[in-house]
Amino acid sequence: MHPIIRLINRNLTISLHPGFLIWQIIFPLIYIFVAGFAYTSLINDVPFGNKNLNYPAFLTTGMIGFNIMNSTLVSGIIIWNDRRHGMFEQIMSGPFTRAHYIISNICTIGIIGIVSAFLIVLIGYPVFADSVEFQIYTIPLIIFASVIGSILFGSIASIISTRLKSSEGFNVILNTVFLFFAFVSTAFYPASGTPEPLFTAFYLNPLTYLVDVIRAGMFGVITEFVLVEMFLLISLAFSLFFIATKLLTRLDF
Amino acid sequence: MLCINAKQLSKSYGSSTLAVNNLDLSIESGQIFGFLGPNGAGKSTTIKLLTTLIQPSSGSLEIFGLDASKYPLQIRSKIGVVLQQPSYEPTLSVEKSLDKYGMMWNIPSNIRKKRVEQLLIDFELIQIRKKRNEDLSIGQRRRVQVAREFMHDMDLLFLDEPTVGLDPASRRKLFDFLKSKVKAGLTIFYTTHALPDVEYLCDNVAMINNGRILIIDTPESLKQTYGNREKIIKIRIAKTTNDLKKLLEKIPNCVIDPRLNTIMIKSNVSENILSDTLHILNQQNITIDDLSITPTNLEETFLKIISEQNASNY
Repeated sequence: MHPIIRLINRNLTISLHPGFLIWQIIFPLIYIFVAGFAYTSLINDVPFGNKNLNYPAFLTTGMIGFNIMNSTLVSGIIIWNDRRHGMFEQIMSGPFTRAHYIISNICTIGIIGIVSAFLIVLIGYPVFADSVEFQIYTIPLIIFASVIGSILFGSIASIISTRLKSSEGFNVILNTVFLFFAFVSTAFYPASGTPEPLFTAFYLNPLTYLVDVIRAGMFGVITEFVLVEMFLLISLAFSLFFIATKLLTRLDF
Repeated sequence: MLCINAKQLSKSYGSSTLAVNNLDLSIESGQIFGFLGPNGAGKSTTIKLLTTLIQPSSGSLEIFGLDASKYPLQIRSKIGVVLQQPSYEPTLSVEKSLDKYGMMWNIPSNIRKKRVEQLLIDFELIQIRKKRNEDLSIGQRRRVQVAREFMHDMDLLFLDEPTVGLDPASRRKLFDFLKSKVKAGLTIFYTTHALPDVEYLCDNVAMINNGRILIIDTPESLKQTYGNREKIIKIRIAKTTNDLKKLLEKIPNCVIDPRLNTIMIKSNVSENILSDTLHILNQQNITIDDLSITPTNLEETFLKIISEQNASNY
């Protein structure tokens, strides 16, 4: 078995504990089926492209992006725990290179990201079934969003985990950054109608682009702006991945 | 066969810190090689160099004849490393962490199963096999860490202070286990502060201080050379009197501890000194409760070599 596959196996084993699974499934379920329907009394329809979506359908597709982002926290946590509990050094003293380690982390979050995305698609399908327009690019677009989103947010989590030394600092920074990503985005509500500078802040947030791309795939609304968003996501993801890799390579023992 | 061959190996951090300084080391296979030194002497840096975890600033290193700068991955696939710092996956159980570690080393599942069971017995981990690593005591965690390394095959094992946190029974059990592995062909590079461990375990020993190797020899030979056959005489008497110090003033290197009622004398001519001391005590009708003569141990030899080096540096 290739060293990267062995490390992915190990990463998945240490990451997929009950607490994480509850976080990955129960939280989105509450958002979709409680918040989604509860807010319907306040929010009727949400405009998206040339369509008007009901709020639960809008929120569910936003939760796919939100869940991909959340799952990538795993990457930062794996690196952080490995450093904190001496496993990074132990793995590096075995038959592995840093490249093996970095790629295995990215693959791990990619797998968790894709599984999370499809889990929410399955769970949320009854909610957005009426609005969904399956196209030939729907599935590839969701896979694209899962993979690029995993690389992007996984790299951010990795960068944070390589730079910080105290566990308090790690938790505070990671939660603050991801809280900003989650709530200053179009995952929960549309950007249109929000006041400045919040509107601008929405579009400084890669999660906005991610959920826009997912919605475009789900509801069959591919516009030029979505293509621009995809390009920005790719550029940002690979730039951050490059930085994360550099920082990981420089980690000293 | 030489398994470690280091020549003029140095490692510096920045311009001021020279952690390892021109280290020359040739270690033959099939032995336990002890590596001794005080805190900050450069032991852990040396292990990191030898295990290819870090690159040297200068010098050359061959492990099993392979150039460490060119073939680090091939070298690491032949060695095992138990580092000084604890390493564990907190959420995994003891048996799961052994099994996963074997998987990481590409050991087939059926062999892993057998090894896990055997190591759980050898390291007395059966009772805690289902416990998560984060719930273990320091000593238990250390035992798992050492046991885990035996999940894979290796020719050379680096142990960096493996007995930290272990109780005496566990230490002895570990030593016997290590000796059995060496008989089967394994070479062990063993770093420790505990000098009795080295005396019991090691075939050869190197002493390092300030990043330099001071001496390499067998533990016995070191004691002979540096111990000068010095022995320690310890006499416990019934009661210490005020004039005892004056009575024994002619006995060299004599220390009286009135709290413990003991007289301690270090001497190269222990037989004569003992005779003189006993004569004086007898004349004064001082009752002797206990008497012992012990040869110099490695600890004193170690301290002597280190103090000599420190003195020569100043």
